[in-house]
Amino acid sequence: MIKEVNDKSFDTEIAGSDSIVVVDFWAPWCGPCKMLTPVMEELSKEMGDKVKFVKVNVDDNPLISSKYRIASIPTVVVFSKDTVKETMVGFRPKADLKKIIERHL
Amino acid sequence: MSERYDIAIIGTGPAGLEATINAKIRNKNIILFGNKDLSAKLIKAPKINNFLGFHDITGKELKDRFSHHIDAMGIGIVNEKINNIYAMGDYFALMVNEKMYEAKTIILATGIEYAKALKGEEEFLGKGVGYCATCDAPLYKGKTVTIVGYNKESEEETNYVSELSGKTYFIPMYKGEYKLNPNVEIIKSKPLEIVGNDRVTKLILEKAEIITDGIFMLRDSVSPGQLVPGLEIEEGHIKVDRNMKTNIEGCFAAGDCTGKPYQFIKSAGEGLVAAASAVSYLDNM
Repeated sequence: MIKEVNDKSFDTEIAGSDSIVVVDFWAPWCGPCKMLTPVMEELSKEMGDKVKFVKVNVDDNPLISSKYRIASIPTVVVFSKDTVKETMVGFRPKADLKKIIERHL
Repeated sequence: MSERYDIAIIGTGPAGLEATINAKIRNKNIILFGNKDLSAKLIKAPKINNFLGFHDITGKELKDRFSHHIDAMGIGIVNEKINNIYAMGDYFALMVNEKMYEAKTIILATGIEYAKALKGEEEFLGKGVGYCATCDAPLYKGKTVTIVGYNKESEEETNYVSELSGKTYFIPMYKGEYKLNPNVEIIKSKPLEIVGNDRVTKLILEKAEIITDGIFMLRDSVSPGQLVPGLEIEEGHIKVDRNMKTNIEGCFAAGDCTGKPYQFIKSAGEGLVAAASAVSYLDNM
């Protein structure tokens, strides 16, 4: 299971990580988010030693969502330290996500 | 768990039907989405003289031949509108509102009749522009949201949004009675362009301008790129190779949606190739 982070733990989990961090912004009512969850789980299994995968429930964490200007969900953001390297809006197939994440390794 | 089909074919024009009969001949477990009229373009054609073997035939007559052909092969049509198709890796999830179908491969034969994107729409997608109002509404709590609605269903979504947003504008793209909450402001003017800097700031209409934080475009028919997230589009058409393969493994396309010329027999030919490719993909799975 991919770790849930929140407004409080976000900075420590993301900026404090030595590897790149992939953050999945989601919410329980969002259909495409539900479809993306198993895809992220699989990616996390495949790439887990090189990349850290976390998720943020936008409903419970409005501070982080507005800080990174999340305007649509799902949105997947690739972070390196506290810098946004890439933002992907909407569902993407696994192969696409993997290719994009690998660019930042 | 729902049944997982070998091939899901989306579209009942000549491309979709030819793909279906060939997949059926190859004994695959198939599902065909479309409607009984098969194709609006086919019915409208007054005379067709370039479909080999059918000289001087009307579109309606050709349609009847097609219907007869699939009936004789025991092929049924599932009359449902697919909203989204997600590539899950080794299968595809086809969403019909709350229902879901699963297929190992898909053949897109959706034709070319979908509304063009508004100027600025693609640029600001995810930066204020969205296609799923119910998904993203909570992100616009207290803000100004504009909904461009192309159908009755968009009214319901607008009402939902208006319960969360600070201000809601509704721009109807169809005539009729609008059942909207009293706090929704209706603006009857044609949208022209979405503008902003790093995110949406306003929507320019023919007779007005709206300062807004978010814009939802709620259409009847969506472009293939929206239908299948991640699908590669080139100059408004689905990019395919000679085997009708798209950039997504297991996803094939045929007919007008892949490009010009827009002709019945070209579509049928492509449908045949797409089915053959899907079958060979399945056999190597």
